[in-house]
Amino acid sequence: MIVLSKLADLFEDLAKRHRLLPWLIAYVLLLPLPFVLAGLFNEYLIDLVNRICLFILLAVGLNIVKGFCGQVTVGHIGLYAIGAVTSAVLSLEPGGFGGALGFGWPVWLSIPTAVLVTAFAGLIIGLPSVRLQGAYLALATLGLGESVRIFIAVTPALGSSTGLMMIPAPSVGSFTLDSFTSYYYIVMTAALLGIYFSFSILRSATGRAFQAIREDTTAAAVNGINVIQYKLLAFVFSAVYAGLAGALFAHMQPGYLHHNNFTVIEMVTLLLMVVLGGIGNVWGGVIGAIVVAIAYDQTKDLVFYFMDRPIVIQPLVFGLSMVLLVMFMPRGIGGWIEDFQRNRRFIRRSEERLSGSTRNT
Amino acid sequence: MALLETRNLSKSFGGLQAIDNVSLSVDENSVHGLIGPNGSGKSTFFNLLTGVYQPDIGSHISFNKIDITNKPAHYIASQGLARTFQLLRLYGELSVLENVLVGYHPHTKYGPLAPLIMGAEVRRQDRLVKEEMMDLLEFIGLAEHAEIPAAELSGGQRRLLALGRAIAMRPKMLLLDEPGAGLSPVNVDNLMATILTLKERYNLTIVVVEHILKVVMATCDTISVLDHGQKISEGSPKFVKNDPAVVEAYLGREMADEDIKAAMNA
Ligand SMILES: Nc1ncnc2c1ncn2[C@@H]1O[C@H](COP(=O)(O)OP(=O)(O)O)[C@@H](O)[C@H]1O
Ligand SMILES: [Mg+2]
Repeated sequence: MIVLSKLADLFEDLAKRHRLLPWLIAYVLLLPLPFVLAGLFNEYLIDLVNRICLFILLAVGLNIVKGFCGQVTVGHIGLYAIGAVTSAVLSLEPGGFGGALGFGWPVWLSIPTAVLVTAFAGLIIGLPSVRLQGAYLALATLGLGESVRIFIAVTPALGSSTGLMMIPAPSVGSFTLDSFTSYYYIVMTAALLGIYFSFSILRSATGRAFQAIREDTTAAAVNGINVIQYKLLAFVFSAVYAGLAGALFAHMQPGYLHHNNFTVIEMVTLLLMVVLGGIGNVWGGVIGAIVVAIAYDQTKDLVFYFMDRPIVIQPLVFGLSMVLLVMFMPRGIGGWIEDFQRNRRFIRRSEERLSGSTRNT
Repeated sequence: MALLETRNLSKSFGGLQAIDNVSLSVDENSVHGLIGPNGSGKSTFFNLLTGVYQPDIGSHISFNKIDITNKPAHYIASQGLARTFQLLRLYGELSVLENVLVGYHPHTKYGPLAPLIMGAEVRRQDRLVKEEMMDLLEFIGLAEHAEIPAAELSGGQRRLLALGRAIAMRPKMLLLDEPGAGLSPVNVDNLMATILTLKERYNLTIVVVEHILKVVMATCDTISVLDHGQKISEGSPKFVKNDPAVVEAYLGREMADEDIKAAMNA
């Protein structure tokens, strides 16, 4: 914890010199990561890191609508699905496997188009927030998100039960980004940019409007904030993140999508990241994504035998963790970070005051 | 000249007529008092003016010569009508500075997407606005608490912040719903003094609901009295204080003797 808060302090100090300095340093430090992992451990850890980067994008995006703006949504995974399937279908060759749709677009065109389509879908998933709140909004968005998955599951053109296969990897010139390491540079850059822009939003009038709506919607409206417009905007922002994460997931080799990637369980996993991270705290969300993604990976194949019958315990573990977290750690890791930072700032200020007064005497 | 005008303003909640056909006008640059027993409809009146509640059909509200009947709250706010809430409704987890920055929202010079595409300009604007808001916090005495969450302020400081957040909207008119509730009489006097200096400094028209009648009598140019949602009296403090209808409204609610004396002798 102390390490974390020190890290956060360091980040702020560097930012004082030049705003982009800590981001550039972080980027440079992250560049050799795949080689370190491959050297010390094995190749598959890079794949895990790549998936963590996608989870970070998802969690940071969800944090905008849920954390900043206070709108409970359980439809985020549906947006991820829309981004993934749209980009996959646009880029697949026509007349592919099992009646799957294909348009043969270049990947660099299918991804931004998928993001735009998802942004629009985010607007629609956000519409219930105009009238509903809390649990009702959660139910409405859950319904919308889950219906996306079911639609994919029953539509052969979108893969239905077999899934979409051989989705192409993006390429730069004649170089195809189909290895774990080459794809790492795409998803890592996307994740870092995602975090950066989330701070840009948070520290602007737009972010303050989101937070005002979360804290007190009536007061926000009376302060001149167009509540409907900003709520929908938060949904669209988060959809852009989900759409990008989905599209990048689709083109990550082996280039295979199945509707089981988008179930309620994945949504709970995603919520767990944000709740563990501390709702509204960007860095907390990032740490939450890392911790939960690793835990998810480690427990994926964990089967417990009860009277010789296999029981997959992962959903139980994740559901229960969620309940325990909300009950005992409602502010998450982000809450600790904030407390530490504030205490440190307080100590610093008192020290400054002390040294100032001794100098004066 | 009337800055705010209501005609036949009504609001019923189910069978309860919370505001009953109230026509009222507030002159520009005046301090207008709104008094009445508990539950007489004062807060509801403010909620109607600011678009928090929708009035019944047939009501009419105009502000600064613009029809604001049934307009959304954020539009009314952007026309220059600001208010405080009886229960403050601060943004508890946001810092003191952020609270007033939200108040400034209607005057933000960049669009909601600007932070993504023109970061430098957004940061420049924000720096300027922050300086202006720090001046405001300095003026109301909260500058040294600028960075702490609003929820951690003391009761009196929270009342000041509620006021500051409304002032940050640079309104033409400010509606204050029991700004001194819960404060000791001395502190209420101080608060009213602050409010009057703010009025001069920012050139405001003020409507104030206050239950300490002494304070109302001392500071207001005109007073309107509500009872059961109806306007039962209106005029100068001197006139209202001697109006039998007012005395009866207050007596009818079995007001403590001392309160009446305090109110009437003000
Ligand atoms: N949202 C509401 N729903 C139902 N009744 C309400 C609502 N708001 C206010 N009232 C009722 O309207 C009447 C006036 O309340 P209010 O305006 O708060 O009075 P005051 O501010 O003068 O004390 C009260 O009887 C109150 O119970
Ligand atoms: Mg009231």
